[in-house]
Amino acid sequence: MSKAMLEIFYDAAEKVNSAAINAWKAQGKKIVGNTCSYVPAEIFHAAGILPVRLRGIETDNMAVGDTYFGPYICSFPKCILQLAGEGRFAFLDGAVITPGCDAMRRLDECWRKAGEDIPGIVPPFFYYFDVPHKTAPHGLDWFKEEIRRLIQAVEQHFHLSITHEALRASIRQYNQGRRLLKQLEDLRATPEAGITGADAFAVAVAGTVLPREEYNSRLAELLQVLEQNLPAVADGKKRLLTMGSISDDMDLIRLIEGHPKALVVAENLCFGVRYEGPELEENGDPVAAMAQGYLGKSTCPRMYGKYQERLDILKQTIARAKVEGVILQNIRFCDLHGSENSLFQRDLEAMGIPCLKIEREYGPLTEKGRIKMRLDAFLRQL
Amino acid sequence: MRPELKEYHYDWMLWRILAPASRVADGSAKELTHMYRYAPYFKGILQPILQEGAVGSTFLKMMTRYMENLNTAHRRGKKIAITTFCFSPAICYALDVVPVTLEVVTAVGGLMWKRGTFDYLDYACEIGFTETSCSSQRGALGAYLAGLGEEIDMVLCDTPGICDTNANAFAFAAAYLKKPFYHLNYPQGLADQRTEKYHVDDYKAMIRFMEEHSGNRLDQDRLREILREVDRQDALLADLEELHRLIPAPLPPIYNVFNYVGRFLFSGSPEYTRLLEQMVKKVRENVVARRSGLNSGKEKLRAFLCYIDHYSLNWNFWNWMDTRGIAHMGGILSRGFRDNACYTAELPGSSYSLDMGSLETMLDSIAQMNARLPMVRSIRGPYDQPNMWLEESLAVAKMFQADFMIYNGTPGCRNTWGMVKPFAREIEKHGYPVHIMYADAFDDRVESWAATQERLNEFLQVRGLL
Repeated sequence: MSKAMLEIFYDAAEKVNSAAINAWKAQGKKIVGNTCSYVPAEIFHAAGILPVRLRGIETDNMAVGDTYFGPYICSFPKCILQLAGEGRFAFLDGAVITPGCDAMRRLDECWRKAGEDIPGIVPPFFYYFDVPHKTAPHGLDWFKEEIRRLIQAVEQHFHLSITHEALRASIRQYNQGRRLLKQLEDLRATPEAGITGADAFAVAVAGTVLPREEYNSRLAELLQVLEQNLPAVADGKKRLLTMGSISDDMDLIRLIEGHPKALVVAENLCFGVRYEGPELEENGDPVAAMAQGYLGKSTCPRMYGKYQERLDILKQTIARAKVEGVILQNIRFCDLHGSENSLFQRDLEAMGIPCLKIEREYGPLTEKGRIKMRLDAFLRQL
Repeated sequence: MRPELKEYHYDWMLWRILAPASRVADGSAKELTHMYRYAPYFKGILQPILQEGAVGSTFLKMMTRYMENLNTAHRRGKKIAITTFCFSPAICYALDVVPVTLEVVTAVGGLMWKRGTFDYLDYACEIGFTETSCSSQRGALGAYLAGLGEEIDMVLCDTPGICDTNANAFAFAAAYLKKPFYHLNYPQGLADQRTEKYHVDDYKAMIRFMEEHSGNRLDQDRLREILREVDRQDALLADLEELHRLIPAPLPPIYNVFNYVGRFLFSGSPEYTRLLEQMVKKVRENVVARRSGLNSGKEKLRAFLCYIDHYSLNWNFWNWMDTRGIAHMGGILSRGFRDNACYTAELPGSSYSLDMGSLETMLDSIAQMNARLPMVRSIRGPYDQPNMWLEESLAVAKMFQADFMIYNGTPGCRNTWGMVKPFAREIEKHGYPVHIMYADAFDDRVESWAATQERLNEFLQVRGLL
């Protein structure tokens, strides 16, 4: 596997204005951002629009974020607002906000209000997508209707038509990506692991930015190379899993793997396989398929009362990837992941799986020294 | 947690303190004076309650009854549900389930004891609940998580997507204690047909859950009886709110607390109706005498609490307002949003009505009532959308002729901290000075009362209000 092969993934994972985004815009095509893994990317793909997950990377101050958000708010939405306020999301033709959590849904008001002070920072298509918190029949019905309304809003705003056939084709395209990512996860679960955690994470994060066809073809090429000659990356290192609240910080994975004995072999984050979720039903009503696939998977603590299901998924991942230690991280003020991480720690340690629980800030690793010290101590324990 | 705290149950201690306090209320002035010596910390809140005479006595008796119900529930064969202040307990009484409203039970402990609920707040964090979570649930919840309370049988909440920190407290409790859990989930809108149908569908599913875990069937006649009581309570509340508009405001500020504590603990119960009847009687007397509800008797300003109040030891915040002649015009906890309330005329779609004609209409009514409780009504959607926080705050402040607004909550309130700055800016554009408090309504350690008071005084001075 050559470094050049990974370059496109790293570029997409670590740059707001990535080459892929610039190339897409150069063709005169539209881009819509979203803030949560519960927004079906297939809707935009079927409309010929590039869906991208909004992130707060490359933020170096919070002047805008802190002006609108209060002090006790997670730094992730603040970083997104900061970038928006700086005009870094000028490539967006639209943005979809969801009630992923309280802080994320308030991005709606804060972004709109910031737009009154800084003209031009609110994308022309600015949409609130009301995702319910339950998978009961009435919750699923609500979500289906939300999907229909989103489709209609996209059609009206962008003057186009999104047919069921196009949606089914997009589902097939995204499912292919899901299968490829799963293949990558399977390779990481082998004794050799084949790829570093940082490289694999860059691939996973890039999936939320790159045009799907390109992503699938690049990932397929990468897998082909890996399968032909699987590097023994593990090589006596401790096999770790990272999980918890939102994290697209490549530097965090690099910091972990900077330790000579550490290798990240799996994630349970809202980027990567958890984000991509299970494959969607390719036949039948595509709206029902998206509703079931995106809402029914219950992989985020925003779906209250599903702790046991999430623990079961986590246990399967740990067993499959032969994980020896778990790093549970959450962004400060994320009570959902923060408290659930404690439950995971309690239950995993009872099973004999050592855990390290870290609370941190999103963005540039300002607490690098503190986290490194705790990681070193944890790895000594392993 | 300190070992001595593990000697007694938290809810039992509240009961054992409130029971004699309610009896003392019927004693002589001399007895009261002597008794205060033995309650050096509790007297900070006990005095203002007892000062209200028969109303204060009825309030203490209601609280005692609630605590007695809770502490004897299992002996009487009843199930206990922990729930939240934005959830009407009326349905619990209809299904013969005893509700533990965490926020109220936290506030009571916080007001009574020198150290408030600090040890319980901290215990919740010791076992992994986040320190950035909301103190309103965490105080009492800490005790229940430590096993220092009556055993909980089920967990009910209605705040996912409204206040995630609130919902998370209940989800955490259910997972930690391994108890059955149900949450009502509200969409971002309020009054459209699609949303109202969702309210009812979700509510019916919750009733099935409660029936399964309580072993009781919902009885139509019992529900009607409870709703009739709610109807009486709503009429009394509407009277109080109408009277509250007068200048000077004839409601003693503490009546706000009597009002919503009753609603959150005893909605649909005769105990709360009795309390409201006495409150209305007393307020009417004040009106006839043209008397302000303030101790000082002189109303200089009217403050609207656009969110919640502050419940620190010794009633500090309330005393501060009273001594400055500031009338408390209520907050989101004070309003019931029944269609007969004076402020609902300006807020079409915000209210609910009661129809006791059939089981279906009753379920629809109670589901819509529940959907209009604090937070789940006005903070469910973007603050500047129809029926939401901005519209409501402006309408209520105008109706009650408020001079300024105060925002106070807890650092755990991600939902309001996420947008309170733009919200306050909008409110200011309408001519209302707004003070954002950085204190914690339930935990004085976050910001000392001295610092909070200093900032409040500064606000009044800088804005030329006093």
